[in-house]
Amino acid sequence: MFDVRPVLQIVGLLLCLLAGTMLVPAAVDALARDPEWLVFVSSSGATLLVGLALWLGMRTDVRPLSIRQAYLAASLGWIAPCIFAGLPFAFGPANLSWADAFFEATSGITTTGSTVLAGLDRLPPGLLLWRGLLQWLGGIGIIVMAVAVLPVLNIGGMQMFRIEVVSGNDRATPRAARIGTTIVGVYVLLTVLLAFALWGAGMGRFDAIVHAMSTIATGGFSTNDTSLAFFDSATIDLIVFIGMIVGGMPFLLFFHVATGNWRRALGDEQLRWYLGILGLGAVAVTLWLINSRGFEPLTALRHGAFTVASVMTGTGLVTLDYSDWTGMPVAILFLLTFVGGCAGSTAAGIKVFRFQFLFANALVQVRQLLRPHAVMVPTFNAKPIPKEVLTSVMGFLFVYALAFATLAMALALLGLDFMTALSGAASAISNVGPGLGDTIGPGGTFAPLPDAAKLLLAAGMLFGRLELFTLLVLFVPSFWKQ
Amino acid sequence: MLDVRPVIFVNGILLLVLAAAMGVPALVDVISDDRDWQVFVTSAVVTGFVGLGMMLGTRPEGRLELSTRQAFLLTSSAWGFMAAFGALPFSFSALGVSYTDGFFEAMSGLTTTGSTILAGLDTMPHGILLWRAILHWLGGVGIIVMAVAILPILRIGGMQLFKMESSDKTEKVKPRTSQVAGGIVMVYLVLTLMCGVLLWLAGMTPFEAVCHAMATLSTGGFSTSDGSAGHWDSALIHWILTIFMAIGGATFVLFIAPWKRGRWAILTDTQIRWYLGFLGFFSFLLAMWQWVVNDMDAGQALTHAAFNVVSVVTTTGFASTDYSLWGGFPQIVFFILTFIGGCTGSTAGGVKIFRWQVLFAMAGVHLKKLLHPHGVFVIDFNRQRISDAVVDSVLGFVVVYFLTFAVFGLILTMTGLDFVTAITGSAQAISNVGPGLGDVIGPAGNYKPLPDLAKWLLAFEMVLGRLELFTVIVLFSRSFWRG
Repeated sequence: MFDVRPVLQIVGLLLCLLAGTMLVPAAVDALARDPEWLVFVSSSGATLLVGLALWLGMRTDVRPLSIRQAYLAASLGWIAPCIFAGLPFAFGPANLSWADAFFEATSGITTTGSTVLAGLDRLPPGLLLWRGLLQWLGGIGIIVMAVAVLPVLNIGGMQMFRIEVVSGNDRATPRAARIGTTIVGVYVLLTVLLAFALWGAGMGRFDAIVHAMSTIATGGFSTNDTSLAFFDSATIDLIVFIGMIVGGMPFLLFFHVATGNWRRALGDEQLRWYLGILGLGAVAVTLWLINSRGFEPLTALRHGAFTVASVMTGTGLVTLDYSDWTGMPVAILFLLTFVGGCAGSTAAGIKVFRFQFLFANALVQVRQLLRPHAVMVPTFNAKPIPKEVLTSVMGFLFVYALAFATLAMALALLGLDFMTALSGAASAISNVGPGLGDTIGPGGTFAPLPDAAKLLLAAGMLFGRLELFTLLVLFVPSFWKQ
Repeated sequence: MLDVRPVIFVNGILLLVLAAAMGVPALVDVISDDRDWQVFVTSAVVTGFVGLGMMLGTRPEGRLELSTRQAFLLTSSAWGFMAAFGALPFSFSALGVSYTDGFFEAMSGLTTTGSTILAGLDTMPHGILLWRAILHWLGGVGIIVMAVAILPILRIGGMQLFKMESSDKTEKVKPRTSQVAGGIVMVYLVLTLMCGVLLWLAGMTPFEAVCHAMATLSTGGFSTSDGSAGHWDSALIHWILTIFMAIGGATFVLFIAPWKRGRWAILTDTQIRWYLGFLGFFSFLLAMWQWVVNDMDAGQALTHAAFNVVSVVTTTGFASTDYSLWGGFPQIVFFILTFIGGCTGSTAGGVKIFRWQVLFAMAGVHLKKLLHPHGVFVIDFNRQRISDAVVDSVLGFVVVYFLTFAVFGLILTMTGLDFVTAITGSAQAISNVGPGLGDVIGPAGNYKPLPDLAKWLLAFEMVLGRLELFTVIVLFSRSFWRG
């Protein structure tokens, strides 16, 4: 058994941060003279207590983490905040059961956006802000993890995105730190820009801030039951549309842009594919809306493009209830759920780059059939893709499919119908938010599901958010052996 | 440009075989005094005439030799030609079937899929029913011979693993391959006979027994009744069919010499073990569901669960009861099972067990690598190391498989099908299963109401799935046709 103290210390630190953030909604509630501020303060106190105990009690000499410790830290670093972030939901006026509270908090932190709450407009502003904050924090957490942690751990082909070390160890650290701060800075800046744009487009200040946070994190929590349809403004839809697409882009590119390396950012193959797939889907759904629903071309484009971007990036904001759509757009949305955004973005899903790797490899396969002895290597951004990376990606994809199938079967075993089980599993693992069908579709909530189903879905969200293997590796017996 | 003459020549021979096969239903119709015999004779004459013309026009001088490219072209075109002419009896007959429907039916037969556009089977002339079964049976022989003799040489989707041991030495290839192929056809024939006799003893009429035996061993799924196997309310018949479907989905080479080196080769083969374990697990699971949730009698639950699980996994497509009414959980299970498929070198379609084994091992290796980044791990199959090239082609295959499934599912929704019909229709076509889910194409429905375009798409997808994708896809690459 390895030393878990440094891991628990990190978890403690994260909990202290979480406790600190809880004071923000507490302040908002206190200003709005809502008695709920007490709930946030007491939740914050409880979280801080545990966090400090872990942080101070587990102090050890500062040493770099071993691989196993890193895995455990990455997993617990997500699971523990999910548990404590649920406290305000359980104690507050929302009065959720602990399963519901955990579901809501997990859905927030993993930037999924599935909700069990109905009647959002009547909830105190503190709680609504808390949901937005959770998504925003989760979004930044996943970006940092995708840029700094996952590539080092070799998870599912992410090793292709290792930040190149120029030379020597001493120069690498400042560069990594600079990349980290740039990306966090960009994230904050984008959120502020979005909030101002939304405010300028006619949203209230509070709504603008919450929506900006949940948009850039591709989360999907809104302040209204009807989501964006409540505002019914094409300008707002357009701003959020752009925000979601930016949220699904590789944030590492913003670093290149910031350092003046425009060409590298624009020539990125992953970005091109991402926008290409998005465009194709949007055009198809728009045409369907014009043809089958008799929409005006511009209205069709507005709703079609928005819905496709929202589902593909895993956001889950809605301008139009698409649960009564049939046939082609349903298939497109269902398939795009799996595609997801780019590596190092806040979006989840399988991610565009994995499809690119596999596609490149399949192309090479076909050519190889005709010339069995030729040497051909698949490439990505003009770099050859090593064998191990392909194996990792394929392993990832297989486990993804397996997890999806198992989750869908388990949900159906609990009594959900075909559509709800299938789309619920897909939407949880890909961190989208709403599913298809009457119950969990864009018009419904997850509240009517049995508690066991909610816990399974929450587990699926964490699993998908942590790129499966970070969590899965903990279940390998040899992980815990020396 | 490559020389297509040998390809046409072999196709001609195959058409002559098909024409001869049409004589059988003609004979049956004559005996049962049905006027349909004329249909078969006409079709046989047309087919035979074209076949003869193709053969004579391109007769090669000396021995026939095929290059890799010609072999690719041959495998794909053979299925196309056979289906095109196998459709003639359907469209000439008094059933009033359009050529599109006829082609769909013939392709579904030859690829051993079992999707049908015909209804009212119980009152149909015997000749047509027999013809459907014969198409299955011929398609079944074709695919095993292809899986044993051709696919390993073409290195399709990891099949190079199943190359005959001696094929590295060129001069020994031919006799050994043809010997094995001959043995396999014998085994196939004997098993069909056994199945037929058992079904007859269990209470089917001789005609029904023959048709079902042919459709079972080829894991096809055409029945002689609209109710499929559910027409016979006999557990004995269901179990006979279950066992022979399971055999049809197993590796046929293993039956040639089941007893090797003092051991049952069948029981030591890891693929067979996974296959049987898999069938057992899901049969048990669904039997439990039926017993606990739907209050079915325990014995009946086991019979129906085992029958339908085996039917879907081996991609046969018989139904002993309408399992789409069992509820949400069985629906999801059946949808997922569609992709699994049988063993390599069997008549079953799907991704195939061995590829799942490789994928599973690959995920395991990735997991171990995460903990030991510098460790070296290898993937074993049947106690034999799998080379990187094989892993690579398996990987490519699975990716293209799901890509094809998704693309066709999407296009099908554009022809106006609803979501469930399109997705499950695409899944069953590429895996050669037969029925999908939903009201239209579920176990109780048929493919008649689909638009013509959807039928052509599904027929094309069936060939793609049957020929392990790359055999067909390679024809679309530009470099195939160049020099």
